[in-house]
Amino acid sequence: MSHHKLEVKDLHYIYPDGHKAVNDMSFCIYHGESVGIIGANGAGKSTLLMLLMGVLFPCQGEVIVGDVHVTKKTLPFIRQRLGMVFQDPDDQLFMTTVYDDVAFGPRNYKLEEKEVENRVLQALDIVGILHLKDRAPFKLSGGEKRAAAIASVLSMQPDILVMDEPTAGLDPKSRRRVMGLLKSFEHTRIITSHDLDMVFDLCERTIVIKDGEIAAQGLTSEILVNAELMDSCGLEVPLALQNCPVCGIRKTVKQPRKKGNDETP
Amino acid sequence: MSNIINSLYNIRLLDDLARKETAIHKIHPLMKLLTTVVYLTVVVSFGKYEIGSLLPLFFYPVMVFALAELPVKPILLRVLFVAPLIIGIGILNPLFDHQVFYLGGITISRGWVAFFSIFIKCGLTVTAAMLLIATTGMDGLAAALRMLKIPRLFVLQLLLTYRYISVLMEEVARILRAYSLRAPEQKGVHRNAWGSLAGQLILRTFDRAQRVYEAMCLRGFTGEYNTGGYERIRVWDLAYLAGWVSFFAITKIYNIPMFIGSLLTGVVK
Repeated sequence: MSHHKLEVKDLHYIYPDGHKAVNDMSFCIYHGESVGIIGANGAGKSTLLMLLMGVLFPCQGEVIVGDVHVTKKTLPFIRQRLGMVFQDPDDQLFMTTVYDDVAFGPRNYKLEEKEVENRVLQALDIVGILHLKDRAPFKLSGGEKRAAAIASVLSMQPDILVMDEPTAGLDPKSRRRVMGLLKSFEHTRIITSHDLDMVFDLCERTIVIKDGEIAAQGLTSEILVNAELMDSCGLEVPLALQNCPVCGIRKTVKQPRKKGNDETP
Repeated sequence: MSNIINSLYNIRLLDDLARKETAIHKIHPLMKLLTTVVYLTVVVSFGKYEIGSLLPLFFYPVMVFALAELPVKPILLRVLFVAPLIIGIGILNPLFDHQVFYLGGITISRGWVAFFSIFIKCGLTVTAAMLLIATTGMDGLAAALRMLKIPRLFVLQLLLTYRYISVLMEEVARILRAYSLRAPEQKGVHRNAWGSLAGQLILRTFDRAQRVYEAMCLRGFTGEYNTGGYERIRVWDLAYLAGWVSFFAITKIYNIPMFIGSLLTGVVK
């Protein structure tokens, strides 16, 4: 199963304007893992995803999917193995019907139309929007669009799913539905998000990024409860782990130390 | 301002109409494309004073409107968008062509006849093109063009331009909405803001187009816009083409209104 492994070694990326977006990142994600990548705005999450997908190429270091290095030559293979769901589904859905959008990937890989149809129907069925296959994507609701965007990636049958803010802009029910859907996948999952409750629910491991560098990585149950770490990285402990706003009962969260008040427990 | 935004969003009407499942929609895209090309050729082949001979050619759009169950008003409104262009092209005819002819005791300027002829021809050709898109869809049209061995680069240009229009329009709508909410007393956009708004629009659409392109590349896009397998051409599709081409040929060879007119006057006599 080594082809499901994703390895990042000494990754550096500097934008043409000189901004250092990714600085010496290294990590490895194994088959079947669900990993959350979190960080404040501008921390370098989206740039990292672009580097993983081969949209950008690193100035230094490498990204390895299985045993294959991400280079211009290997992009067709890489993009078949890694499927990315964009933050804004409107960027991803551009065909005239949901069916055609989901079929876009398989058709590009020159599959037989019968096989394309099987994959499209299967993907739409998995995300629960088979009944919307003939609808125009721009007429769907936010949750339906997100489901269609996920289906458009699933139809390529990737080993690794990369998702940029999968629950952004969704109402609570749609968010819960998308989370249930993501939980049901057996793929290796890489999820970037500011929705830390979702990361807490879905990811066993979390990588925290700060200013283009990895600030911490480890078990989600240990990382996200570390209020000091979260605070220093411009984040907060997930709402589910914070004090109850009604009765004030304290959760077992390590609180950040206030400046000049080091004796605070 | 809301009218502008609404009309911008209505640009997708043709895509919606193309998803209908009427007898006309089911005809093979290639046959519809060829029928339209022959129709356009016949329409423009008439001389500039031959208004009478053009009249039977109205039959084609009327039939397509009826059989494809298309709404007449929104499509004709789109045809009207090109009206200023048509007027610009044809308006010089009445100014320079002062010759006259007499019809039943009425003096008619040949210049005006030529102008109306241009107006009718443009109207018919643009309507036919609209009807083709509204009954076939851009993807079907692209498939038909590829079947005719049109280079994929041209077809891709056509498709991406068409897609890009809606990207551009959405950004325009967003910018106008944001502007109008902070300029409630103004009608339209003040000229001081034109430059920055246009600049914003270009930068935003570049960004958006880049993201759409990245999304396409991540799903294996390498320059070929695949829209599925080609449908098979059936006998009915060929009959559709043959029927219309025969009709257009008869219209071109015989002056049908004159024939009907003489027939009627003959009967009356």
